[in-house]
Amino acid sequence: MEIVLLALVSIIPIGLGATVAALSMRRISVSAIEGMTRQPEIAPQLFTAMLIGMALIEALCIYCLVVALMLAGSVTAA
Amino acid sequence: MEDTAITNAMPYIVIANALVVSLVLIIGGRMLVRGQLTSDAPGDRQNLGEFMLDFFVGKAREMGGRDVVLAVAPFLATCFMFILVSNLMGILPIPLLNNPPTSYFAVPLGLAICAVGGTLILSGTFNGLLGAVKHLFWPNPLQCISEVTDVLSLSLRLFGNIGGEHMTVVLVTSSVAVGIPLILHVLGLIPAFVQALVFTLLTASFIAGVIHTREEYEQAGAKVGAKGGAGSPAPETGVTSVVEGEAAPTM
Repeated sequence: MEIVLLALVSIIPIGLGATVAALSMRRISVSAIEGMTRQPEIAPQLFTAMLIGMALIEALCIYCLVVALMLAGSVTAA
Repeated sequence: MEDTAITNAMPYIVIANALVVSLVLIIGGRMLVRGQLTSDAPGDRQNLGEFMLDFFVGKAREMGGRDVVLAVAPFLATCFMFILVSNLMGILPIPLLNNPPTSYFAVPLGLAICAVGGTLILSGTFNGLLGAVKHLFWPNPLQCISEVTDVLSLSLRLFGNIGGEHMTVVLVTSSVAVGIPLILHVLGLIPAFVQALVFTLLTASFIAGVIHTREEYEQAGAKVGAKGGAGSPAPETGVTSVVEGEAAPTM
């Protein structure tokens, strides 16, 4: 029973983290595409800034993945 | 991956693959610069090499003059090429060789330590030892902690993306060996490029933040302001009018 509970708990961080990260990434990409269509001449700078912002958000999602992997490891150890 | 023998041999496989990546890069670089380099009619290989270097030289040129470009551009290009070729090793259909070194946490960690350590060394080179130490503790004494978190975030991001993708491919291949892994590999090409680019861009932004002190920013701002007094108002108003003109019909 405890193992099942632990296994269920271990998917919570990555699920929540991926959801929130996806929503924030949607906002970044929508704004960047809007900016690119309005001013195509600054598209390269916008793309770079978009990539950096996405990477910073994605890092949080990756931390969630690491926590989830650690929890999953404790499930297999138990 | 499931076999304990392979798991125990993993560090050696990773080291061997990293050496293969280095060899490929060294031989490729030697082949690119072999022969006569010219400025009037560059050949195919010189074009390819200049195309690859141009981006990093442009990035470094945003930070400073010739000495900064000569120090920073090769560093960024090395980071990018090593990570890119390492990531792309995962799509090779050769057993043992298809473990990307970046999917093993030690390699991204080492790369991130090299990137942040290189940033600190560049800071010492351009600001002097005192300037580098001052940048770590001034204006906020806790700023030195950010170097540690930079290492962690750089390495975990690279490892999470490439390692996660590699893990997915291995799991899927163990159940469905035909067809589906091909799709995953094609999709995996995107993070392979994007993560190499992101690592390089973040390193570039760390370096840019380190070799420009606050005074230099203010001087640069004063210069731009002084120049802008004569020339810039006209283009600025042009840009705003264009934006307003485009925005108006959609409203």
